[in-house]
Amino acid sequence: MWLRLRNQNKKQAYPCDKVAQEGIYGTIERDLHANIEKIRNITGNSADIVIRRFWLGKEDNLSSALCFVSGMVDENMVQQLFIEASVQLSFPSMCCDQLEYIEKKIATANTTRRVKQWNDVFSLLMSGESILFIHGMQEAISIAVKGGEYRAITEPSTQLSIRGPREGFTESLTTNVAMVRRRIQHPHVWVEAITVGEVTHTNVRIMYMKGIADDNIVEEVRSRLQRICMDGVLESGYIEQFIEDETFTTFPTIYHTERPDSVAANLLEGRVAIFVEGTPFVLIAPAVFIQFFQAVEDYYARFDIATALRFLRILVFFISLVAPSLYIAATTFHQEMIPTSLVIAIAAQRESVPFPAFVEAVIMEVTFEILREAGVRLPRTVGQAVSIVGALVIGQAAVEAGFVSSVMVIVVSITAIASFATPSFAIAVSARLIRFLLMVLAALFGFYGILIGLIWMTIHLCSLRSFGVPYMTPLAPLIPTNLRDTFVRFPLWALTDRPHGIAEETNIVRQGDEQRPKPNQEMRREGDEN
Amino acid sequence: MERARISARQLFMLAILFEHGSAMVIPLGVDAKQDVWLAILCGMVFGVGLLFVYYRLFTYYPNLPFTSYSQRIVGPFFGKVLALIYVLYFLYISARVLRDFGELLLTFAYPETPLFILNAVMMLTVMYAVYKGIEVIARASQLFFFSLYWILMLGFVLIIIAGEIDVRRLQPILEEGWPRIFHVVFTQTLYVPFGELVVFTMIFPYLRKEEKVWKAGFLALLLSGINLAMIMGMNVAALGADIVSRSTFPLLNTIQEIRVANFLERLDVLFMIALIVGGFFKVGVFFYAGVIGVADLFALKQYQRLVYPLGISVLFLSLAIASNFAEHIKEGLRIVTIYMHVPLQMIIPIFLLLIAMVKHQKKERKGR
Repeated sequence: MWLRLRNQNKKQAYPCDKVAQEGIYGTIERDLHANIEKIRNITGNSADIVIRRFWLGKEDNLSSALCFVSGMVDENMVQQLFIEASVQLSFPSMCCDQLEYIEKKIATANTTRRVKQWNDVFSLLMSGESILFIHGMQEAISIAVKGGEYRAITEPSTQLSIRGPREGFTESLTTNVAMVRRRIQHPHVWVEAITVGEVTHTNVRIMYMKGIADDNIVEEVRSRLQRICMDGVLESGYIEQFIEDETFTTFPTIYHTERPDSVAANLLEGRVAIFVEGTPFVLIAPAVFIQFFQAVEDYYARFDIATALRFLRILVFFISLVAPSLYIAATTFHQEMIPTSLVIAIAAQRESVPFPAFVEAVIMEVTFEILREAGVRLPRTVGQAVSIVGALVIGQAAVEAGFVSSVMVIVVSITAIASFATPSFAIAVSARLIRFLLMVLAALFGFYGILIGLIWMTIHLCSLRSFGVPYMTPLAPLIPTNLRDTFVRFPLWALTDRPHGIAEETNIVRQGDEQRPKPNQEMRREGDEN
Repeated sequence: MERARISARQLFMLAILFEHGSAMVIPLGVDAKQDVWLAILCGMVFGVGLLFVYYRLFTYYPNLPFTSYSQRIVGPFFGKVLALIYVLYFLYISARVLRDFGELLLTFAYPETPLFILNAVMMLTVMYAVYKGIEVIARASQLFFFSLYWILMLGFVLIIIAGEIDVRRLQPILEEGWPRIFHVVFTQTLYVPFGELVVFTMIFPYLRKEEKVWKAGFLALLLSGINLAMIMGMNVAALGADIVSRSTFPLLNTIQEIRVANFLERLDVLFMIALIVGGFFKVGVFFYAGVIGVADLFALKQYQRLVYPLGISVLFLSLAIASNFAEHIKEGLRIVTIYMHVPLQMIIPIFLLLIAMVKHQKKERKGR
């Protein structure tokens, strides 16, 4: 049925073929007026498209026009360009090709380019370049004066750290790429440009370390990106949904981050980063399950603390997954497994509650989800009111009204805090969804249901892949060397290999032997004497 | 056969989980009284012999599952008949294990729930796993291997801390001499769980490095033999041979004995995890072998199409094979062992191996 539905939608074909689209507007004409008319026509005389006509050169004999989109160009540079073109430029009597002379003489912009096709003219114009038309020429010059306002670099708002760099990505693609480039100053950081979106023409950059990243994975990323054919890409989430391996899963198979240091670390491990214009979130592929429990800070803190935190995070993930369902199972099916005094306490509280444990849990969990959703979308000023109402509703009034038991409140709060403590929001969300499934199973079959649910989840996790890499690597398939950076994090000097199965196998060692720090013996002797 | 590859390590862990499966929780070889651990170890030693037979067969045809090479060895017609018998055997045993599992759950935790529901939930999970293929099952086995081992170690440590172990309960050793032990070995412990490795003749060809099959299989057999002997020995040491031989789930009774610091008690959930995880892999491997066998025998390209019809058949078979638990157990001990395990795990493979050896010697002579 799914196929049939999809086929019905396919009746009208989408023009994906880029070659066929080329040249639908034709080429530039000699007549300047005709060219200007054409731009006005095709852009619908849009208000933000500026067409400024002027006399080119000191001799004032070339009628020309500069065309750009206001707001997308650097105003200062455009100003300078005018001065240069109309006042300073002069043609020597013996000149070869005027167009080439102009192109080479303009010093204001970084790059200039000659264009002939209207298609190119429009795509460059819309991307923020200025186009210079000269009367009598069949070509125009495109001058890169991109600019305009972007949000400044600020601290990332979703991935905070106590220790570590404070800068996060912005909406500007070039800034983002440069931020990573600044961290890895090596010529083997390769950046490939690609445009996605037939209407939006969004710039996308694939960044990887040549020689460290597996070429097959890079090729896979490239081909999946090139396959995308759709109107618009407004955020990296669009791209993620078009290139991920499996749609019908709650687990994220592509990692996203807004921290340049995180991207740099992943590039050094042989992964591929995908930057998208207009969003601070950079995609990283391939991603494995355990990666969502690693925070960049783990590598900045000392290994024992990092290890303890890793354990805590995995525990937290499990709590956020099973806590309410364990409560349901224990109170409905397996009272004998709870210590006697506790079971009496719970039973005494639950006596006044009119609902079975499952309904009680669902009510509370749904209430909490509503509060959270409200808190996310509300303007900051109103947010506080929600948290007060939430605390009162969940915390006190519900218990006092005999609606839910106070044990349930504790369970829900622990679950909620646990789901916030998971370092990656993407994996916390999938735990949120699975939690409800497990609650239903627990209500039906008790612990048996929870276990069956977890087995389902494990099989599902084992069946996932991210760009060909099994999702549960290095746990299943087991790669012992990689285990040094999973549940525990070994000291940095012991993490000798890049992750096997992700990085290029022929270039896997990332540091020298004997990196373990040892104090100099002589220094120690001096210390003892004091 | 599907296009898949598993590693030797995955085979090892899958075999361990498979061996532990239901053997861990049922009263295995308890007719040997306090010498039950000895009976299991002896079963393991003879089990190594059986494994060697399966391994030799595999070395002659390293790329084929049992259902294919049986046709090479005894000709297409008899080979197909044999393959059919084996496929039915695998499916039947998976239904039996499923029934075992459902009955265990029923008696110990869910007296009010219909058996059909418990079995159906389990079978759906197994079907999902088999649908995803051997690679996924093998990967999942790696994850569950560690969780199961942690649980076993935890239980073991807790029992020792709780002071339930009394080694004197294991004495006297060899009270009635070796004959009784060998009787138990050749009527019970050799076939379940060790001889059941015959199902791995369907899985060996998936191994990436065929030379590692023996090592992985042998180590798995050795480790699971020692583990099972330890578990049953522990049961006897904690409860006494008398209680163990009359109990339906000795391991559960042992775990229920644990009481540490007035807090860690009633750890039935540990037993339940072991039971469900083990049961899942045992049913899963048998069912997978059955499905792949049918697909191989009837030359189906996509074995996935068989998963749902065969899965539902196994589910109903698991309910239909016996009208109650006592009958089910009696069938298992009397009929299945003599008419199924002995010929299919021992006699036919040895017979096939002899024919294959003769054939290959002839070929070698011709080659010269």
